[in-house]
Amino acid sequence: MKSSLTFHKMAVGLLIVYLLLPLIGTFLFSIAGKWDHTILPESFTIKWYIELFQDERFFAAFQRTLFLIVMSVGLSVLIMLPTIFIITVYFRKWEGMLQATAMLPYGIPPIVGAVGLIKLYSNGPIQISGTPWILIGAYFVTILPFMYQGIRNSLRTIHAVELVDAAELLGASKFQAFRTVVFPNILSGILVSTLLSVALLFSEFSFAKLLVGGQFETLQIYLSDKLNTSGHLTSAIVITYYSVILLLTGAVLKITFRNQKSPILLNKKQTFSVFKKRSPKKTTVLEGEN
Amino acid sequence: MSYVTINQVTKTYENQVVLNNISLTLQKGEFATLLGQSGCGKSTLLRSIAGLEEVDRGSILVDQKNITHLSPRRREVGMVFQSYALFPNMTVFDNIAYGLKMKKESNIKSRVQNMIDMVDLTGKEGAYPHQLSGGQQQRVALARALVMKPKVLLLDEPLSALDAKIRKNLQKELKRIQRELEITTIFVTHDQEEAMTLSDKIFIMNQGIIVQSGAPSEIYTSPLNTFVAKFIGNYNVLNINVFNKLVGNIELKGHEVAIRPEVLELLPVAQDILTTQDNWAIGGFIRDISMTGNVLRYEVETDGSILHVDSLHHQRKILEKGSHVHILIPKKECIVL
Repeated sequence: MKSSLTFHKMAVGLLIVYLLLPLIGTFLFSIAGKWDHTILPESFTIKWYIELFQDERFFAAFQRTLFLIVMSVGLSVLIMLPTIFIITVYFRKWEGMLQATAMLPYGIPPIVGAVGLIKLYSNGPIQISGTPWILIGAYFVTILPFMYQGIRNSLRTIHAVELVDAAELLGASKFQAFRTVVFPNILSGILVSTLLSVALLFSEFSFAKLLVGGQFETLQIYLSDKLNTSGHLTSAIVITYYSVILLLTGAVLKITFRNQKSPILLNKKQTFSVFKKRSPKKTTVLEGEN
Repeated sequence: MSYVTINQVTKTYENQVVLNNISLTLQKGEFATLLGQSGCGKSTLLRSIAGLEEVDRGSILVDQKNITHLSPRRREVGMVFQSYALFPNMTVFDNIAYGLKMKKESNIKSRVQNMIDMVDLTGKEGAYPHQLSGGQQQRVALARALVMKPKVLLLDEPLSALDAKIRKNLQKELKRIQRELEITTIFVTHDQEEAMTLSDKIFIMNQGIIVQSGAPSEIYTSPLNTFVAKFIGNYNVLNINVFNKLVGNIELKGHEVAIRPEVLELLPVAQDILTTQDNWAIGGFIRDISMTGNVLRYEVETDGSILHVDSLHHQRKILEKGSHVHILIPKKECIVL
């Protein structure tokens, strides 16, 4: 038993070293001054970060990437949440079709998808090829499986159909049932899907390069451009990018872990402040409460 | 005048008839049970009354108001689900208050508190569903439905997920509350013992139709057909020709004979037993004995047929496996189907 535990610990330790080593190397390179023929850098500097954070192109690329992500993920939540809810609760026979549609992006390689999209939107009534709008559309499709699985699983976990039935029998309209019962209970699921999608889109390169290229420079395109100029600067970009991803992953883990312990409250003030600590003694506030 | 009237209700799913021309009536304050095996249509009928399923044909009237095509929220019926369907994001208090808030009723706090006291959950107002036991969750679900003062309370196998002891206690509680509030209740279960314990009236369903209805004792002692006899009380059901031959070439007319296992009596062969005006006496030997606590079930073989005989578990009267016995069959307890 003890030796088995030691083996497991060693295996996990090796995996952690294997995964972290390139990241540590990249981080060291991003703060290295001179590093030619020694194991560790001979001198350290933060000039690459200063150079990076003084580069307006970096911030512009960051802003563009954020714009694309917020638009794509926001659009996806706005469209997919009601769609999945309505199909799961009221039109269950169509669920298979929705699932197949949501899984389509896995079946189409990005290069094929990109070429098809360029051909389709280069002429005709909707000429958006080369603009950020085509990228938003492509990203919407890319994150579809994450959004679909996350929201659907959350709905299934809480037995949304029965909750809606119960709420309706107690006098709620369909919308009230969704707003007061279903939404607060799947909020953590939506957030997890959203954060995973954001993390995925942050590192998306192929669609960005093929569909808009230099016309709308995203963070990944900026990174690929800098690869040819300075390795140190590229490392600083990668570490900055990883830090953002790490923050996002931490948020996902925090929400997931807390969701296992207790559900999210339905409270007008708390609905959109899930990161705050909650007191289990607080009572729920609903419409019409005295 | 009936308080609940279900008139020729039919429901079909993908060319399969789930409810076939169902009709039933209930008086105000009655506790009725829909009893049947899984898939017999009892839950569909309950959901149709609640408005969660559309019926294809027929009508549903409650308090002389036709509710057949009303949305669930306008039917004034309360429902308790098998899985409780409590709102996980709300406390016990808020779960119970939900319906009152949706309907913008007054005196919410006092009404909810009264209901919490009634279902014996005082002190649990601030708890979330996941912090409660199964029995407590079911009490919340019951209180949530009752606080709305529904005209009809629908219970869809509400006790099936609970262990035996809690289940028995909740059965008593349910009966007490129902009597106290005099609320017309329709209970769905597949457990005949539960149905017998709770109901004023039982409707036995099979394949989308009501095969028999009546008071529990009436259904138990006078099954109308083989299905009811086999489903309701572990009846011994024998082919009429086999039975006639078994008891001595008599000429009963019908298809089958049903005899309850507890009306049969086993006596040791040492005693000289003869057929009398009241009983038939036949010989047999005990193939097996099983014990269900206070009852011993003997499996007795007689002339190629198997009869089950139940007797109270009394240490001094236990007959041994493999021993030869006389079986006394009371003539008036034999039901010809």
